[in-house]
Amino acid sequence: MAHLVLSFLKLPMKVLVVLLIFMSSISNAVAYLSSSSDTTMHTNNWAVLVCTSRFWFNYRHMANTLSLYRTVKRLGIPDERIILMLADDMACNARNKYPAQVFNNENHRLNLYGDNVEVDYRGYEVTVENFLRVLTGRHETAVPRSKRLLSDEGSHILLYMTGHGGDEFLKFQDSEELQSHDLADAVKQMKEKRRFKELLIMVDTCQASTLFSQLHSPGVLAIGSSMKGENSYSHHLDSDVGVSVVDRFTFYTLAFFERLNMYDNASLSSLFNSYNPNLLMSTAYYRTDLYHRHLEEVPVTNFFGSVMETIHTDSAYRSGSNKNGGAKTKKSLDQSITDNDRRILRNFDEKDQFDIEYQRDSVGQIRNTILSKLNTFESIDAFVCYGLLLMLPLLIVSTWLSK
Amino acid sequence: MAEEEISSDSPSSSQPNQENPQQTQMLESSSSEFDPKTMRNTKPGVKRLFLTFSVLLSFIIGFPFLWKSIEIYRTPLPFTQIESFSSRIESNPLHFPCQFQAVFVGFDIRVSHGEVGAEITRKMYEFSPNASRCGVCSNYDVSVVVDSSFGCVGKGDLRGSDEDADELVKNCLGNGAGGGKVYSIVVVNEEEDEVRAVVGKYRHAWIVGKVSEEEAVCRVAEIFAKVFVNGGNEGSSIREEFMPVGADGRIVLSFSLLNANPQDWIYDWNFHEIDETLLQPVIEALQPIANITVESQVLYHTPKSSFSYWDDKHGSHIFSTKDLPFFVNSNEWHLDTSVAAGGRSKVLQLVVYIPSAKECPLQLELPNGEISNTNGFISPMWGGVVVWNPPSCRKDLESNDPVSHVISPQDLQMIFEVLMGQLRQLLGLKSDNHYAGQSGTSVLLGSGRGFTEWELDVLSRKHICFNLHSCATTLGSLSRLVQSLPRMIIMDEIGKQVKFSLEAAKFAQSNASNGIYDASAVSSRHSRSLAEDAFFHPSIMSISYYSFEHCFAIYSPFFLPVSMHVVLAALREWKRYKQENRKYLAWKAKAKVTP
Repeated sequence: MAHLVLSFLKLPMKVLVVLLIFMSSISNAVAYLSSSSDTTMHTNNWAVLVCTSRFWFNYRHMANTLSLYRTVKRLGIPDERIILMLADDMACNARNKYPAQVFNNENHRLNLYGDNVEVDYRGYEVTVENFLRVLTGRHETAVPRSKRLLSDEGSHILLYMTGHGGDEFLKFQDSEELQSHDLADAVKQMKEKRRFKELLIMVDTCQASTLFSQLHSPGVLAIGSSMKGENSYSHHLDSDVGVSVVDRFTFYTLAFFERLNMYDNASLSSLFNSYNPNLLMSTAYYRTDLYHRHLEEVPVTNFFGSVMETIHTDSAYRSGSNKNGGAKTKKSLDQSITDNDRRILRNFDEKDQFDIEYQRDSVGQIRNTILSKLNTFESIDAFVCYGLLLMLPLLIVSTWLSK
Repeated sequence: MAEEEISSDSPSSSQPNQENPQQTQMLESSSSEFDPKTMRNTKPGVKRLFLTFSVLLSFIIGFPFLWKSIEIYRTPLPFTQIESFSSRIESNPLHFPCQFQAVFVGFDIRVSHGEVGAEITRKMYEFSPNASRCGVCSNYDVSVVVDSSFGCVGKGDLRGSDEDADELVKNCLGNGAGGGKVYSIVVVNEEEDEVRAVVGKYRHAWIVGKVSEEEAVCRVAEIFAKVFVNGGNEGSSIREEFMPVGADGRIVLSFSLLNANPQDWIYDWNFHEIDETLLQPVIEALQPIANITVESQVLYHTPKSSFSYWDDKHGSHIFSTKDLPFFVNSNEWHLDTSVAAGGRSKVLQLVVYIPSAKECPLQLELPNGEISNTNGFISPMWGGVVVWNPPSCRKDLESNDPVSHVISPQDLQMIFEVLMGQLRQLLGLKSDNHYAGQSGTSVLLGSGRGFTEWELDVLSRKHICFNLHSCATTLGSLSRLVQSLPRMIIMDEIGKQVKFSLEAAKFAQSNASNGIYDASAVSSRHSRSLAEDAFFHPSIMSISYYSFEHCFAIYSPFFLPVSMHVVLAALREWKRYKQENRKYLAWKAKAKVTP
């Protein structure tokens, strides 16, 4: 009987295998076909920033996303070209001690939830379906322009995602998950429809590198905070807010960008090399095999900023009525500005400020290590007992002195 | 239980026959002996067989219904047609037949007209080596008219105002052969030394002056090939693939007047007037290429984000071309307000920037140290910016309230000439009033509609080509996508859109090959937008549809065990019946022998 069942199963299995092979060959063909058109000019920048976690204890994910939002805006990507997806509103959470404010550092110097934060998808709108709709562009007709990724074949897109993930998946709001093949499929369709020229996927989640394993489309650069089997840790805990406020990978990314302004041309490789595995407590992984340019030559502002390609207008158009025949024939001169011609304006004040901040951070680190050392005591009760015993002689001395 | 019966039956039925023939014979000999293990004297009943088989049969009959009920609705898409359409578009570019006519007046040409025509054609191919590129005329049809006395053009008529001459030549040619879509050049041989070549607003040009025969042929060929066919721009400043027309065939022209600092001064414009007098003709002229809508706004507090410095030599504040990429202050300039624009329309921003008092006057310096005479720049696919300096840069210090002005009609006219130049630049056309070729410079006349007729032809050809290519690739991607997701619902709407898109594309192709550019441009636009609609249909989402494995996994836990039992029971019953029947037959045979 068992044998019979097996032979019954064999047939559909064979069909399945054939189907699978067929489908994968189709997808390969698609990927191959779409690898043309590398010649187009980079004309605009887009950013899709996604925070996929809900609930108060995931405060840091929202802070990560808002920090990136602030950075790309500062570097010149306009709001209408940023799609910001926030799964939960920490600013208005009842447990937030600082209402309507979100911080990514315990120094509370920078309120990320200041003015001009345009959230495009919030709360329960942040779903895998909506995320994939944004990427592929398949919206209902009523969806407004501000919620669409209206990129074209000259666009560079930054896709930043943060949340809780695992081997080949990223959780959305603890109820759904985005799998690596969903992401790869969406990217493939974007490439097919020429919705980007280059795409940088940046993911800050545990085992982030596994999310890129299925990508096959050319022009895609991916960087993740951790390798398979590694966790991505938070950077520090804000004792006032009560939760961790930023993740390590994002924190060091932001530290890199704080030094830059929109005129800078630091390269992507300098960003990627700035990640120190000892500080991250994980290994930042980047995948470059699909990307054809050398990372040393690509300025970070190609993805994180917006540098317009501009062409000077040589001449106005005059219709016949107000122009005589023998008009001056001036040698025209059109000048296209390349990305490389740009002023480097290092702001030293900013640099100093960063240094101070960095020192503060190192102090904070020492404190953190002490705290973690303290935590290694057998039990908190013993620690309290020792403390009380220590206070007893102090009390005796002080009473003896006051006599 | 049933299995045991069968297994116990089979050895017992076979063993006695082979191993113990004597015993059987002994049994046979005693006819009255009846072995219940090997034979039976009644016909086996068919009730159980009938029951199990009827259940099996009902399952088999039910299977197609189940299959039908879990079937995914998929509108049949014309895959083969899409395939053939895209391969046709890929393999051979569109054929745009173009007719040319050269009229030689006052020449004494000895060779036949055909030879002159052939010479011009040969020269034209020399001038445009990449004739196979999509969007240009594929085959040249040159006819030559040699007329010693070109009736309606009197001596010196073409030396007057170019505008009048243009109309004159138009009337002359209009009476002649073709008229409509024929590009023609009139060459008038005169005594005057200065040779003057003018390309008119319509589809003709004229050359007057003392020209030799060879020179005339050369110039005619160059104007045909470079100006009429290519639009007068080799090494065009904008790449061809950037077509600032939205996927739904619409363009929204968004005009913004930016007052950098309203504390200093506030300028307003009479946009309504400009819209009626200057923009409407342009929109009408571009109607076949794109459906254009216009909107305007005036914004305050919009500083630029790049730097400028005071320059004594020019007596103005200077911003250089190196700063242009940073000029647009996207955080302060809230330009994209267009609610009217649909999801896939293209919005082109045309911005007039009025500097504040502390950076006035603001001039753009070119890399060669000169001051730009347009004071403007474009960004491909985004739009253009013009800096307009107020007539007097002095701020009225006495009054605390900002003074509001209206830009004078003359200034507005000048601004719009620059903006029109930028729009043309965005569409890939130059706005110079001359064309400097190898064989001499020709004057290009401007049209009040913003685009001359031959320029519109060039644009139409380019757009037809681009739209059809885009349509073919989109439909190709769609068909690959649909075939790769066999469990995806395909709505009727998608099928219809694909069908109509293919029809429109076919129509565009046939119109293009007949030289009807306007209709072809319109239907190519439709075909592209329908293809895009089908591709971006919201029902196509891979995540919403489960794969075949999923379907198998859903239905197998229930149907597999049940159907397995039914099939096994039917098999067992059939086996049992056969065995019982054999027993009966054995008994019958014995009964026949013995009686």
